[in-house]
Amino acid sequence: MKESIMIIPVFLPIFFGGGLLAFRGIENHDYYKRLTELIVILNSLIIWAILTNHIGKEGIELFSLTSWLNIYFRLDGMGMVFLGLISFLWPFATLYAFEYMEHDKNQRSFFGFYTMTYGVTAAIAMAGNIVTLYIFYELMTLVTFPLVLHYKDRESRNAAIYYLIYSIGGATCAFLGMIFMVMRAGNGIFQYGGFLDAARTENINLLLLVYVLCFFGFGVKAALFPLHRWLPKASVAPTPVTALLHAVAVVKAGAFSILRLTYYCYGADILRGSWAQKVAAAFVMVTIIHGSSMAVKEIHFKRRLAYSTVSNLSYILLGAIMMCPAGLLAALSHLVFHAFTKITAFFCAGAVMHKTDRHYIYELDGLGCRMPVTFTCFTIASLSLMGVPLFAGFISKWNIAQAALAYGGRIGTAGIGVLLLSALLTAIYMLTIVVRAFFPGRDFDYESIKDCEDPSWKMKLPIIVFSIVILVFGICSGPLLSFLELIAKGGI
Amino acid sequence: MEGSIVLLCLVFWPMAGALLSYLIGRKNKTIRDLFADFVVILECLIMVILLVQKFREPDPLVFSWDEFCMMGIHLELDGFRLLYGFIAAFMWTMTTVFSREYFRHHRNRNRYYLFTLLTFGATMGVFLSADLFTTFIFFEIMSLTSYEWVAQEENISALRAAGTYMGVAIIGGLVMLMGLFLLYDATGTLTLSQMGDAISNAVKAGSLTVSRQYLIGGLLVFGFGAKAGMFPLHIWLPAAHPVAPAPASALLSGILTKSGIFGILAVTCNLFRYQPYWGYVIVILGTLTMFLGALLALFSVDLKRVLACSSMSQIGFILIGTGMISLLGEEAALAARGTLLHMVNHSLIKLVLFMIAGVVFMNTHKLNLNEIRGFGRKKPLLCATFLMGALGIGGIPLWNGYVSKTLLHESILEYAGLFQVSSADSLIGTYTFWKCIEWIFLISGGMTVAYMMKLFVALFVEKNTDPALQRKYDRNTSYWNPESKIAILVSAVLLPVMGFFPNLVMDPLANLGVGFMNSQVPAEKVVYFSASNLEGAFSSILMGLLIYFIFVRKILMIKDKDDPKALPIYVDRWPVWMNLENVVYRPVLLMILPGFFGILCRFLDSFLDLWIVLLRKTLYRQTGKKGKIFNANFKAKMAVTGLAEKMYAGSLSFGLFLVSIGILVVLVVLFLYG
Repeated sequence: MKESIMIIPVFLPIFFGGGLLAFRGIENHDYYKRLTELIVILNSLIIWAILTNHIGKEGIELFSLTSWLNIYFRLDGMGMVFLGLISFLWPFATLYAFEYMEHDKNQRSFFGFYTMTYGVTAAIAMAGNIVTLYIFYELMTLVTFPLVLHYKDRESRNAAIYYLIYSIGGATCAFLGMIFMVMRAGNGIFQYGGFLDAARTENINLLLLVYVLCFFGFGVKAALFPLHRWLPKASVAPTPVTALLHAVAVVKAGAFSILRLTYYCYGADILRGSWAQKVAAAFVMVTIIHGSSMAVKEIHFKRRLAYSTVSNLSYILLGAIMMCPAGLLAALSHLVFHAFTKITAFFCAGAVMHKTDRHYIYELDGLGCRMPVTFTCFTIASLSLMGVPLFAGFISKWNIAQAALAYGGRIGTAGIGVLLLSALLTAIYMLTIVVRAFFPGRDFDYESIKDCEDPSWKMKLPIIVFSIVILVFGICSGPLLSFLELIAKGGI
Repeated sequence: MEGSIVLLCLVFWPMAGALLSYLIGRKNKTIRDLFADFVVILECLIMVILLVQKFREPDPLVFSWDEFCMMGIHLELDGFRLLYGFIAAFMWTMTTVFSREYFRHHRNRNRYYLFTLLTFGATMGVFLSADLFTTFIFFEIMSLTSYEWVAQEENISALRAAGTYMGVAIIGGLVMLMGLFLLYDATGTLTLSQMGDAISNAVKAGSLTVSRQYLIGGLLVFGFGAKAGMFPLHIWLPAAHPVAPAPASALLSGILTKSGIFGILAVTCNLFRYQPYWGYVIVILGTLTMFLGALLALFSVDLKRVLACSSMSQIGFILIGTGMISLLGEEAALAARGTLLHMVNHSLIKLVLFMIAGVVFMNTHKLNLNEIRGFGRKKPLLCATFLMGALGIGGIPLWNGYVSKTLLHESILEYAGLFQVSSADSLIGTYTFWKCIEWIFLISGGMTVAYMMKLFVALFVEKNTDPALQRKYDRNTSYWNPESKIAILVSAVLLPVMGFFPNLVMDPLANLGVGFMNSQVPAEKVVYFSASNLEGAFSSILMGLLIYFIFVRKILMIKDKDDPKALPIYVDRWPVWMNLENVVYRPVLLMILPGFFGILCRFLDSFLDLWIVLLRKTLYRQTGKKGKIFNANFKAKMAVTGLAEKMYAGSLSFGLFLVSIGILVVLVVLFLYG
């Protein structure tokens, strides 16, 4: 029964979060926050125990609704990467949220839903078949919806409605695809190379049509153009939500699902060279450029980062649609590295907003001198996002470009061009912030920012740790990459 | 990690020193200055030791660390790299020593030291790199950290120049990266020493077409040329040098541009070994850079801007030499030596000149020639050191610039001479073309003499138009402190020493570059002071004098008409609109492209929403003027509160309703074709 441990990381946070929501009277006590952190850390420890002991290879069936509609968990290499990633980020993000939310009235419900999302995301990482993946994917929308709505003002209501409509609309497409795949291939257990038997199909175009449908369905969460609109809007949510959920957990779940769909349901062989690939590639490339351009245009700090996320999520997909192991490797590496980079950037933005209540780029002049830690870390994140060598982002971009080159042809060449153009735009939209913060100009009035200072350790610790991770991965990424390569070749 | 760890230390010691000095600087500024001196002097000493060892043991030191940053870093210390590493260390030592006085009253010094030392480490990395990936890594770091130099003063022109600098650096870096991708894809290696064979294998195997090869070369040269200040990517150079602090300008001009040249040389000597067309292109670019730089320098009235444009012009000379290496192929010994020596000479000369400009600025806080005019009168030592630099760069016999310019001139003549002996099939261009190049070369040399003379006369001979200011200048005798004095003197003494004994000093230096450039040591010793070589130099000098007395004194200086006794003043007659940056790059990059894409993006961003709105107005929303869903009365009532529209259109059920229609459509398709 070793395998059943896998269920704990899913249900512990969900039940704990539910409990938090159920008990009304605890607002006035502070201990529940400590308890939350404890539970989150405990959950991460359990996850690490699972990962290091290689539990989950066999898989465990929780229950089945019908013979083919069953909840089934299994942990393979790709799941391990995603699970490891979120289990590392979550405790830090919760710690960060303590300070960020300290003056908020509605903390109990915030932490309740926030913790529940942990369980749901873990479930997506460990989902062993398409049905489980779909169910928790839907659940994720519902759990994170209240978080977007958190401030309950006009803007966040608007954003929440957008979020819900887009997500549910997307999930519907994914639902169709799921039904199709399950009808065709039984239980739909993921396996590298795909479980759909292409040879058995008389109508390949239908298969591809369903792929495109699913691609866009899951693409909603991965903020694929033209379904990306919800993401910048959702940046009205509290920063821990935007940082962890809308830069990592939720959106990466979308990208993760697309990777599952492409490499574990269909298999790259069916799709390589097909029209479905071309359609996907076209939209992915448009998204990259579009996201970056909008980020350049945007003057709201968090929305700019959100648009940057839009573009970077499609980097992952750009790797994925190269339909080869090198592409999967590139996608996974960007999935990991971008997570660290963007969460750092968002946390820095959140720190600025929390300490100085400044939300727009033009208000950031000279802050680098008053908040050195925050802006140094932000600079590291910016450089990583641009893909400057010695920072993690460079490694994954290099991998994506290598995959594109290996694929060759028009898609490959266009892919590299898009990548470089987007890197230029990234440099513009990130460095303008850095330059403003550190070089405000000679006539700048430093008196106007004399009250600004770095946040306390609760916020600084996550930022610093993630920055160090970015540098470490940038300089020495060998072990991780060889592990990812093993996954990409179907080894684990 | 294997090989000699010393090489890694050479790169990372300054970087570690940078962080340490920053931390020290937060506590104590004096100790920080001394510590920074210590960092660079130690590095310089190590380079000297390695240089001495090199003559005893010719095998290059190598170092590789394969896990580093995925592709690994590979460092090598052959003759060329050793020489340039040494020059970098030497220049950093001198400027850092000089910085102490220069920055006495500046703020943000801690930041300056941090970034200067970081750039030092990165620059060492570029010069020691054995493969292009390593070059790229350190090149990018160098580009980003040197941004601080340009922005250091933080005034409007500095920030603007810094923006241009950063823009060019980033675009250059990305284009270079594209080249590296393609190169790696075609050959499977980025190691320079294996590149020649890999290229020829790839060409044989058909995985690399000639056009692809030239594309790769073009991309790489774009990237490196952006840093070198090659036309038409030179725009950052005249803007950035004048606004940067003088020690930083010296480094920007003396070393950072050379790192670009290093890359171009590496590409030329390894990717395009003996490919005359490549050389032809480089020579043309070099000629343009050389002539345009000299012309800009002649027109400028800002001391540091003249020096900056002069740098650009000298880079053109070096590029011509680089092109000649490719053109002459196996007989390129002279061209290769000329290129290397001119790089060395230019670095050292600009070190002296920019430090003197720093002395001027430190005392007067001005750079305009009319304002600093006469500053150098009655300051013999300053005059002498400046003269060393001016004579050096002017290519006057017995000074170091003469030697390298002679070699470059020789190589052009050598190629032109080929037209007379062999059939012209294998040659490129015509005899007339090469004669033209030679003339432009000589004229540019003459312009060099002219603008250096303009500076010299303005600073050291003429009196200021304001007699009170002149008296103040004359009384100023403590214009530099001993440290700065030593730094400038040491750097200046080198120039005539190298020029007086070319065979003794210059030849061994040139021999160091043989391995890197795949060239040979010339069979016979070059007689630098032969009649034919002197003739070229003297015709250049003569032209320079003519240009100075006719063009500069008559056209670029105007006299006040009312007062015949007044001194003529220097004016900048360069048309304002003739500025590539302001006329082409900035409008295109900052207005036209963003404008177009901005509109496109705004449209695309609401693409889906547009559809939804359209559908709501047409298919799903029959609440037009006539209103079918609600009756008129009800609607009127609701319209007052405005509730109906919001309730209906904003409700979740409406959204879900739309979605379910979509599902139905898809289901129908599935049933029909499934």
